[in-house]
Amino acid sequence: MTTGVLLYCFDTPNTAYHKLALKSIDLIKKNLNLPITVVTDNDTHRHFSQFLGVTYILIKHQTKNYRYYRGQNIPWYNMERANAYNHSFYDTTLLLDCDYLCYTNDLLELCNSNYDFLLHNSVHDITGKNRILKKLESTLPIVWATVVMFKKTEKAKQIFEMIQHVQQNYDHFRNLYRIKHKNYRNDYAFAIALHQLQGQITTPMFIPSPMNMLPHEYDVLEITDNSVIYKYDKKINMIQNTDVHVLDKDFVNVR
Amino acid sequence: MDIGKLKKYSDLAYELNITKRNSLEKMRARQVMAYEGRLFRADTQTINTVSTLKAHSKQFYLLDINENPCLIKEPEDFLTKLIERNQETLNTLSQLHDSLQRRK
Repeated sequence: MTTGVLLYCFDTPNTAYHKLALKSIDLIKKNLNLPITVVTDNDTHRHFSQFLGVTYILIKHQTKNYRYYRGQNIPWYNMERANAYNHSFYDTTLLLDCDYLCYTNDLLELCNSNYDFLLHNSVHDITGKNRILKKLESTLPIVWATVVMFKKTEKAKQIFEMIQHVQQNYDHFRNLYRIKHKNYRNDYAFAIALHQLQGQITTPMFIPSPMNMLPHEYDVLEITDNSVIYKYDKKINMIQNTDVHVLDKDFVNVR
Repeated sequence: MDIGKLKKYSDLAYELNITKRNSLEKMRARQVMAYEGRLFRADTQTINTVSTLKAHSKQFYLLDINENPCLIKEPEDFLTKLIERNQETLNTLSQLHDSLQRRK
């Protein structure tokens, strides 16, 4: 039985995601010690040197999506995640955002379970301000597609097929669930797919602990081997040896 | 009243509280452990439940975190692993707590 990590990484005109992915790969190798597959495009791939234990899948990604970030709409290439089941070579896969930094090996416990599919349904704002979840964004029970553990089983395959179906008909589902945001978001696509596939009843298939997040209002100053140092309102703080999803992208922006 | 001093105290209190909150979350995340294919939390509630059921039966069923049943065939082994993980996480938290106390 093989276990590995799957990352999606596409640089955009505004953001050099490969810089985040390189840091993420370092941390995964150090703390999870798992083989890694990076799905990327030709332009982004040239920034990756050959790492031992890292395989690359080169694809042409869709370019229609965008995201709202610090007052402006910027390109966002996030549509390929729906194909993760087909892109993964592993029996057990940890599908991670490249801005999710693994400072512990806690995720390995999920791989040792016999669940087919696990993801977060709650978040922990590490700044204590609870800025992540806004009210009335949709009628859906929200999940987060940032960290997903799945196995090569019929059930997981069906979930990803449903996600693809939701993606192809996203406008319809967005209206159905009264989702406020007009752009395509994997969090919602995953949430819709699970809701539809489970007979519109919330079925617990969740990672038990909330996902640590650093909101985008906080500037990341430095990412070290054991910590993330961030700044907000003239205050500097850090989080050490804790898995965290970093939303600020300015520190890797293309200037 | 020295407003500057009060603000400094407030800033320090905020920083300490955030560190404590994040450390507790880190502890809870580390307490999640896989056993017999299911996920359990190595907290006092699970330890107490396993300890009590173990006193009455050689094997028993227990609901995991996502409320799926799991047959615990070797309660002694399970209890040992739960306690080890619980104390590992509390030991880490305790060290951090001591360092925070010194900063107050």
